[in-house]
Amino acid sequence: MRPIRLACGVMAALLASACAATGTTTTPATAPDRPNPTGYLATADQSLPVGGTLNLAVHIDSGAATGYDPQLADVATTWQLLSLSYETLVTVGPDFSVQPMLADKWDTPDPKTYVFHLRDGVTFSNGREMTADDVVGSLKRLLASKSVWRGQLGPVKSVTKDGDRAVKVTLSEPYTPFLAALANIPAAVLPMKEIDDKSVDPAKTLLGTGPYVVENHRQDVSWTFKRNDKYWSKGKPAADAVNVTIAPEEAARIAALQNGSAALATLGNVDSATMLAGAKNVQVVTQATTDFYYLMLNTQAAGSKFADPRVRQAVAIALDPKQIADVALGGKGRPTAITPAGLPGACDPAALPSASKSVDEAKKLLADAGAQNLTFTLSIFSTEPAPAVAQVIQQNLQQAGITVKIEQLDEASWSGKVYGKAPAEFDAALSWFAGYADPGMVTKWWNPETAGFNVGFMKPDKELNTLIDAAGKEPAGAARDKALAAVCAKADTDAQMIPLVTRPATIAFRTDALSPSLYATEGYGNVLRLIADARVKKTQ
Amino acid sequence: MRLLMWWAGRALSSAATLLGVSVLIFTAVRLMPGGFAETVLGPFATAEQKAELATRYGLDQPVFMQYGHWLAAVAGGDFGISMISRQPVGAELLARLPVTGELTVLAVAASALAGVPLGVLTAVRSRPGGGGAAGRLLSGLGVSVPEFVLGSLVVFVFSRYALGLEVGTWVPFTQDPAANLATMVLPAAVLSVFAISVTARTTRDAVLGVLVEPYVTAAVGRGESPWFIVRHHILRNAATPVVTLLGTITAYLLGGALIVEHVFNLPGVGSYIVQAVGRRDYAVVQAGVLLAAAVFIVMNVLIDLLVGVLDPRLGVLAGRRS
Repeated sequence: MRPIRLACGVMAALLASACAATGTTTTPATAPDRPNPTGYLATADQSLPVGGTLNLAVHIDSGAATGYDPQLADVATTWQLLSLSYETLVTVGPDFSVQPMLADKWDTPDPKTYVFHLRDGVTFSNGREMTADDVVGSLKRLLASKSVWRGQLGPVKSVTKDGDRAVKVTLSEPYTPFLAALANIPAAVLPMKEIDDKSVDPAKTLLGTGPYVVENHRQDVSWTFKRNDKYWSKGKPAADAVNVTIAPEEAARIAALQNGSAALATLGNVDSATMLAGAKNVQVVTQATTDFYYLMLNTQAAGSKFADPRVRQAVAIALDPKQIADVALGGKGRPTAITPAGLPGACDPAALPSASKSVDEAKKLLADAGAQNLTFTLSIFSTEPAPAVAQVIQQNLQQAGITVKIEQLDEASWSGKVYGKAPAEFDAALSWFAGYADPGMVTKWWNPETAGFNVGFMKPDKELNTLIDAAGKEPAGAARDKALAAVCAKADTDAQMIPLVTRPATIAFRTDALSPSLYATEGYGNVLRLIADARVKKTQ
Repeated sequence: MRLLMWWAGRALSSAATLLGVSVLIFTAVRLMPGGFAETVLGPFATAEQKAELATRYGLDQPVFMQYGHWLAAVAGGDFGISMISRQPVGAELLARLPVTGELTVLAVAASALAGVPLGVLTAVRSRPGGGGAAGRLLSGLGVSVPEFVLGSLVVFVFSRYALGLEVGTWVPFTQDPAANLATMVLPAAVLSVFAISVTARTTRDAVLGVLVEPYVTAAVGRGESPWFIVRHHILRNAATPVVTLLGTITAYLLGGALIVEHVFNLPGVGSYIVQAVGRRDYAVVQAGVLLAAAVFIVMNVLIDLLVGVLDPRLGVLAGRRS
């Protein structure tokens, strides 16, 4: 018996010490009854003291083979992390209006000319003042690079200095999304003097004008940032340090949030909000984004089942984006056309040609095309909620007599199958696009001659491409809305890539540890956009 | 001379095994669906960028040439560069090894400290209708519950009721030893459930095998106390299979803590390999698997030596093992 007693004693002692060590008295949520201004999910309580360390948990690290170079960054998770150290000439507000950042104002003397007046007192984190040469050099470097973002800047003809404190950009023709394209991390102002003299390699070092400076980064493990004491905006950033833990497993992020080791976590599964329901001092919010899921129908494979546009149109008609949003995304997504729902000037998905047609009409189109017993494989990646979206698609299409086999792959296999070969070998595939901050930007991906990456499964449509370019030139207003509506209708009829529903972002934070600022809708997938405002209530 | 021959033989067979493993893993990662370029550079990359990446990492060369270059580099201690982090794989493995090592030491210690006494207890107290069945049921459960199920359950429960044990986070030992232990206890416990169960079962079977030996009957006849008999006659003679098992478990845990590290978000070798497989980061997967194989081989040699110490009849110099 003695060994058992001893074991029990040891166990009791361990438990007692463990409980004693827990002793965290979490203050109850002081749920301030401050109404959030329009366009915000939360605003940081400015009456709270500054300082402290902010601990975050995110699902993925910046995993680009291009390193830290912001100009070559092409995914939102990388933009999010780099945005702590890099800044752009302009930014976007909660309503997607373009607002000053490193340029405190700008003139547009004619629709093809932009003159940016640089903010005074901006320095890079090494202490050197940002100059017009840095801005000119950064933009020229971006335009000369292989960056995806180069195309989003539009038809830039020249970038020149306009005196010591201004930069002039001339376009070869008007391009409305230009300012919105300047508001994202790939268009960040880089320390060109140091890059040119090779004392800094932007692929290896983050040296920007942003609120935080990197102290340490371990790939797929963590980032440690400390405040940039030379930051131009007085009083910002509020927190002294930001620790970002990379936790690919959703359960680990939820656990870190619940036990307080993370003050804010990004969540991927729409059901995670339910899992956290009732968790003490944890608030879960859904940030709408302009990102959206879409269906690719491969018209380029040998013997393609989707070469006939009537078959593709039948698929578009039979799909029910509202049901996808409600069932697969827990009501958090919105049906969308190719201009992302939520952006000013975006098309109304209910006004698309396919939206007004019935399943019977879809069946008739299939019969006319001789494809009554259409069966195809839908390739998806296994990350939630893609499997749930695919299941609703499968049920939708069954109504029109189409049989869908779902093929679930890990992301690398999926990526290889969809983008690895031209012509691509899949039947249909599900993916999502970042929607950006102007309704005309993502429409460019419907032109495979511009986008390039989709040439393996999509045939260019001359008429659609002309409409996309025309909408890009129209200044904001009724004429542009009409031009965009024409793009949406044409893309809907073409149906090689069918937009489905917007992709929500779920964010959870500890109300006893953090008072954050968050936009209600985000265009560049940047949950950390307003991190410099966040107030730390207590470091856990 | 015989010892020298034994070492030479082991060195040769180990090298041959490692070479075989290296060929297998090198071929396997290249046969995996999903190209490195689409995965690493993303869909937006141009053909030119993909070609540039292939040239940078030598992936445009014939596979056997790639293998030759890699093998020569590995022989010189260079495990290549990660395509994602662009850091040397060897340095990253070295940085992550202490996490997996600590996890393994804790799990193996728990297996030895809990599994062996449990096995002895269930063997010496086994009688018809006694606790043997319960013991077998418990150890059966421990063996059969998958680590990701148990791990997820533990993460869920302890995220709500932490009891001072951290979940979903990790603190380096050098930064705060107490906090480090608080983050390691639960993953080590999950990892050790399987090992404790197997150890207890193996110990029980070994002890039962010794209990029927004539010298035990003689000791009982001499009136020696039960615990004296356990210590002096049973444990030493039952130790060989248990030591062999603990050695194998150590090698298994070092190479196979993949799931537990992933579920608990520990920056060890296991989670490094899991992430690398997902991204087709070839150099990391190759180095990781080779390391795991090397650990297995080294552990096997150590087990052979240790068994020889415990039972000279089975030792290296007894000529019974090659």
